[in-house]
Amino acid sequence: MTRRPLRPLAGVIRARRMGEDPDRIEAHRRAERLQALRAAERRRAEWRLTLLGFGIVVAFAATFLRMAAIAVSEPAEPAIAAADSPPAIARADITDRNGRLLATNILAHAIFSEPAWMVDPDAAAEGLARIFPDLDAEELKARFARKRFFFLRQAVTPEQMQAVHDLGEPGLKFAPREVRVYPAGRALAHVLGATGIRNADVDAAELRGTAGVELWFDDELSDPARPIGPDGRPQPLALSIDLTAQVALREILAAGMARTRARGAAGVVLDARTGAIIAMVSLPDFDPNRRPRDPADPRLFNRAAQGVYELGSTLKPVTAAMVMERGLAGPDTMVDATPFRWAGMRVTDIHRMPPRLSLARVIAESSNPATARLAILAGARAQRDILERLGFFGVSGVELPEAAQARPLLPPRWSDPYVITVSFGHGIAVTPLHLAAAYATMTNGGLRVRPTLRREAAPATEADRVLPAEVSRQLRAMLRLAVTEGTGKAADVPGYLVGGKTGTAEKIGPDGRYDPKRTLTTFAGIFPADDPAYVVVLTLDEASVEAHGRTWRTAGWTVAPLAGETIRRLAPILGVRPRPEPTPERAPTLIKVRN
Amino acid sequence: MSLHDPAEGRAPAGFLRLLHFNWAILLLLIAVAAIGFVMLISVAGGSLQPWAGRQMLRFGIGLALMFTVAMIHVRFWRSLSVAAYLGSLVLLVAVELIGSVGMGAQRWIDLGFFHLQPSELMKITLVMALARYYDWLEPELVSRPLWVAVPVAMTLVPMALVLMQPDLGTALLLAAGAAMVMFLAGVSLWYFAAAGLAAVALVAAVFASQGTSWQLLHDYQFRRIETFLDPSTDPLGAGYHITQSTIAMGSGGLTGRGFMQGTQSRLNFLPEKHTDFIFTTLAEEFGFVGALALLGLYALIVIFGLASALTNRDRYGALLTGGITSTFFLYFAVNMAMVMGLAPVVGVPLPLVSYGGSAMLVLMGAFGLLQSAHVHRPR
Repeated sequence: MTRRPLRPLAGVIRARRMGEDPDRIEAHRRAERLQALRAAERRRAEWRLTLLGFGIVVAFAATFLRMAAIAVSEPAEPAIAAADSPPAIARADITDRNGRLLATNILAHAIFSEPAWMVDPDAAAEGLARIFPDLDAEELKARFARKRFFFLRQAVTPEQMQAVHDLGEPGLKFAPREVRVYPAGRALAHVLGATGIRNADVDAAELRGTAGVELWFDDELSDPARPIGPDGRPQPLALSIDLTAQVALREILAAGMARTRARGAAGVVLDARTGAIIAMVSLPDFDPNRRPRDPADPRLFNRAAQGVYELGSTLKPVTAAMVMERGLAGPDTMVDATPFRWAGMRVTDIHRMPPRLSLARVIAESSNPATARLAILAGARAQRDILERLGFFGVSGVELPEAAQARPLLPPRWSDPYVITVSFGHGIAVTPLHLAAAYATMTNGGLRVRPTLRREAAPATEADRVLPAEVSRQLRAMLRLAVTEGTGKAADVPGYLVGGKTGTAEKIGPDGRYDPKRTLTTFAGIFPADDPAYVVVLTLDEASVEAHGRTWRTAGWTVAPLAGETIRRLAPILGVRPRPEPTPERAPTLIKVRN
Repeated sequence: MSLHDPAEGRAPAGFLRLLHFNWAILLLLIAVAAIGFVMLISVAGGSLQPWAGRQMLRFGIGLALMFTVAMIHVRFWRSLSVAAYLGSLVLLVAVELIGSVGMGAQRWIDLGFFHLQPSELMKITLVMALARYYDWLEPELVSRPLWVAVPVAMTLVPMALVLMQPDLGTALLLAAGAAMVMFLAGVSLWYFAAAGLAAVALVAAVFASQGTSWQLLHDYQFRRIETFLDPSTDPLGAGYHITQSTIAMGSGGLTGRGFMQGTQSRLNFLPEKHTDFIFTTLAEEFGFVGALALLGLYALIVIFGLASALTNRDRYGALLTGGITSTFFLYFAVNMAMVMGLAPVVGVPLPLVSYGGSAMLVLMGAFGLLQSAHVHRPR
């Protein structure tokens, strides 16, 4: 803008000529200029105010339109589908070998509070205390007053959730949670184990294994890269367990335990060729959906895979296998069965025996002196060697974290007294699962099997051979004889050619000596004996049976009948067909053995 | 608007001043407050307790305050402007210190009959100080960078203090109110364009900071913004406010469910129904018509305020009137936008209607200033 001069020369000259004061022109001009500036300023202010007014009108119009849009909209409840969408982390299910569900997740909800959103914290606290009797209203009020977000519960039932929802408190919110449930209940308590909630957040929480299969396969089950099944969920983990067999075994053992007033029981059914565990029971047990919180609770103990016991005479076939593979004796070799002393130890039988027995009869009649003599004959090195080959020197290797700590208890040194006791199953303690695996190995043709819970267990191959096939065949015949004519008669089931060996071990009493009134009775068997498909090992702790006016605590009375019942029930379930007994290939001949 | 035409160039004196009040604004304020009482009675289930009675008492005190302030010449308030601003600043710092030492996240000072929030006071004293500044400043200098930097600094200091509380809503209102005064004072529009760009960049930075170690907002604040962008993602969680309030307003329809018939509000579905979300109750019970009526009243207050500013030839008076009117409008607009899901939930009350003493008294005092500027305007 061109400024008008304050003292224009022409104007000043004219004013002087007219006799006026030129300063008045300047003053006038100054006033004019200021006025113009003011006016411009004023115009600008007015323009700005008008602009602001216009902006405000636009804002009002927008508000008006939005209000109208809401007013004409149909009132609708918000969709709650979004809040109920499943959590991002999904743990895979566990099934049995036939795809039946053993462990799955259901959607539950955690409750958390956001006091900043609360309408009435005191009423909410009292309402919660009514719904959850273990919550204290005063304590909750204090926590709400702290205005901090916190979790009230990690998983509630739908009823509880509804009750909390009905409190109508927007500051109480629900977070989706996967809760692990075990539809089979007690049947698989020890195998499946447990999970716990980790990394709890508002959107999801991680389920991580804390025991059993859940812990062993934890990474597999929670692997986000796990293939997705047709139902859109991670492919389930299939166990070797057969749920029907498992439930049947548990029932039989529970009934047997009650009948024999036993303190505990364990049972294992193993596929003789693959080592796949078809059923594994430990009693007393618990409901895995309400797992005992105390880690020292005795019910949590898995007697089948975790407990090591002196399993007694069931180990005698190992001695028989040892002498047969070394050519020291055959099934028909006559063995001296008279009691004897060795290194200050008396080796006797509890009932009268013929002075001489064939090796097959030694097993069938379960003669301690005869077995001991054979073990001494073979020697400590041979005994250790075969025990190691049958897997008695290490953990069973089953996929249970609890079993990974169950190392067999072995003699401190392999002196003669230990060789003798170990030959009939004392002074060595293993898990029932170890025994089942060893029986499978001994009778399936001599191929070492390792117990496993994986369904895709492969049959043992020639590479796994630890015993000659012929020895295995002879052991099968001996075990069959022990059932037909020996101590295991009560386990026989017509048509299934049951073979097996009983074992009665006295437990060590409080005085450190063996107590004949407290026994651990075991039956280890196979069926069918000519081509074993399955191994059954059952153990009862402190069982006793009243019969003929006496109290019986030996395996033939306590556990062998349970084994018979088990095979009778399980064989059809497992698809083993009954068939007539084949005629013996050859009659046992009597051969004298050097003594 | 005056009922009495004074002699040219002379402001009325004594109780004659009452005649020169901006009665239109006064009556509109009373009408809006009355709507507030009705709504507070309704949300209390037809009772004056616990809200409406106290609110009425406060409004009475507010009216007395307004008259007192209005009767004092605007010259006095102009001379007090800078001191009032500095005083509010001291109070803000004091609350920040005391609050962080012993009283949790307390943002107010207990004056006995009501809690004074310095951040509320700051909204008005900032407008006063800025009006005083531009009244003092030569008009040619208004857009010089150095002279723009001064009011920007005057705004940023209290803003930072309020953000530390943390109260994002109030901080943004402070900035917006200051910007309005600067706009009215004639600061070059380029500055506003630059500030707008900077704000966009800041928002981008804030979002970029999410989840990093230098995160600029609280998680709950992020959640509110995200929920605002899509409330349906979390209808029972952080989207609860907006979803419920939209439902309530929608269920009001054209004429509403009737007084005390609003289910969403009465059945406690709606949190903060007596404070920030009271408009929802109104819309549900009196429908589109009722909401529109309130909207109209607010619009009239703003229009009369701006008209008063337009006709005031005193620069301080005009800027003060414009600034107060703008601040009033901002309160209202942000609350509306929040309730209707047009803006994130930031916790701004509906002026004169929401229950709350601090905002009410400060607002009435501010309208007292506006009346004083109106009554004592040069003629």
